[in-house]
Amino acid sequence: MLIQILNGLVYGTFLFAMASGLALMFGLRRIVNFAHGALYMLGAYFGYTAAKLAGFWGGLLVAALGLAVLGVALDILVFRPLRGRDPLTTLLVTFGLALISEDFIQTFWGNDTHSFAEPALLSGVVQLPGTTFPIYRLAIVAFGILVAGGLAFWLTRSKVGLYVRAASHDPVIAAVQGVDTDRLSALVVGVGAALAGMAGVVAAPILSISPAMAADILVDSFIVVVIGGLGSLGGAFAAALILGQINVLGVVFLPELTALLPFLLMMAVLIWRPTGLAGSRV
Amino acid sequence: MNRGAFVKGVLMALAAMALGWVASKTVASALVMTLLAQSCFYALFALGVGLLIRQNGMVSFGHAAFFGLPGYLIGIGLKQTDIPIELLIPLVVLAVTTFAFLVGLVFVRVHGIAFGMLTLAIGQAVYEASTRLRGLTGGHDGLTIKFPRELFGLPLKTFQQPHGMFLIAWCVLVIVVTLVIWLAHSRLGRLTEAIRENEERAGFLGYRTLWPRAVIFAISAATTAAGGVLFALYNAYISPETVYWTSSGSALIMAVLGGSVAPWGPVLGSMVYFFLKEALGDVTTHWLGIIGISLIVVTVSFPQGLSGLAMRLLGLGARRRHADS
Repeated sequence: MLIQILNGLVYGTFLFAMASGLALMFGLRRIVNFAHGALYMLGAYFGYTAAKLAGFWGGLLVAALGLAVLGVALDILVFRPLRGRDPLTTLLVTFGLALISEDFIQTFWGNDTHSFAEPALLSGVVQLPGTTFPIYRLAIVAFGILVAGGLAFWLTRSKVGLYVRAASHDPVIAAVQGVDTDRLSALVVGVGAALAGMAGVVAAPILSISPAMAADILVDSFIVVVIGGLGSLGGAFAAALILGQINVLGVVFLPELTALLPFLLMMAVLIWRPTGLAGSRV
Repeated sequence: MNRGAFVKGVLMALAAMALGWVASKTVASALVMTLLAQSCFYALFALGVGLLIRQNGMVSFGHAAFFGLPGYLIGIGLKQTDIPIELLIPLVVLAVTTFAFLVGLVFVRVHGIAFGMLTLAIGQAVYEASTRLRGLTGGHDGLTIKFPRELFGLPLKTFQQPHGMFLIAWCVLVIVVTLVIWLAHSRLGRLTEAIRENEERAGFLGYRTLWPRAVIFAISAATTAAGGVLFALYNAYISPETVYWTSSGSALIMAVLGGSVAPWGPVLGSMVYFFLKEALGDVTTHWLGIIGISLIVVTVSFPQGLSGLAMRLLGLGARRRHADS
């Protein structure tokens, strides 16, 4: 049972690392980024190739930096010109980008499933009462908590964080007060993309890499963001942890319904509170 | 709608049907006919998705459920009950429509991506059911539908040959498109457009804003289900792949490529989609990339889709007034 709860925690914290980028992008640009799963997948493949040369940590670094650059480019080249357009337009454009990325991955890395070794530093197991648990999984929990803590600290304690919160609340007023919202959102989309890319590398040793990896994680991240309340990081954190537990407990108690439970949870939450757990301004 | 417009609509529908009949007699290529028949099924699918975008401003990621359910229900109905097929088909469409209406009453309360996720949830629920209820659905192996030798007075063979099926699907498509155009001009059509533009204001004017949108959701599901029935008749087989979310995604792409401003846009979209796929299939393996790029180009540069572009190029002034109204 302890194992199940821990595994739920692993998935929950990992999902948060993914979903936080989505929530940030929605907050600042009001964009529903369908390409977020593709960013995660690109991170995993970049990391996979870099790790062959520079080991796991080199792979993680390359994925983070590469995706940060890609994220900034995405904001400047795609999101900025589409500012003020119908949300449906940006949604479809990012959907198109996701399709293109999948084609790109299939062209350069093929359709095979690749595996990715965990770093030697984090291999092995830790002794728990009556059982053992892989250290690497605990490291994923630490990664998720680090992301959550780092984002919370950044958003509440730094000046740039204050600007981000102000611009999420009302971009026009923030701009009038002298905040450069365009530069800010390039930064935020870059951070969100880097987080997705790192999540891709971090998840690779336990989930394996294939061109199909984007879709499942994207749907779960969307559910997290929708349940949490679009654009709310606190809500997303709570939702990610709940979803993580539901996923593993479902396997134990309701194996027939496991795949449906996240959707049922989302329906229940949306019927109860149409704007999500934390409420949303949109 | 006045009487002149009604007569004109009926005449145009008859002319379109006659055109289909001529096509089925003159085009000998079975491949072209297969493609045409298939794009008719998916045109109905995309028409449902486009109708929802046009009238409600809502994007569905789960319409594959309404496309696949009829096939499963007909297959199971034929196996488990003695209901004659001529009655079973309308019953199944009615069941899917009612189901969509009830679900719609809940779903249309939320907007934007949350609505998209809820429809995705329904789609995945049907997908999961289709893979898990192995006794009824055959699981991943799919379900072979055992149609009787004769349906509606026609031999089953007619429904399963490209030429016969194209003509039937084309006629159904023409009728449904006519009804959709009529719907857009009806009271309900105008009311839902008003709600789409400003729900609060429509509410203040004294209209209920919930059930009209749920009705549109149900009609959109019925349209898609009509395509699903034809798809099932033609293939006599259905598998979970049909109800998977990527299937909803393709229909959405067709609807967007065709454009949802003109009610018949999704029909054009699905024809272009299938013929493009066939034409490029031999040349390149980069279908995903090509469809991704076309999706971006169309949404950014031609927000009204190919149908909007076509109308502008042909300078169909009268039609354009319709589309803008």
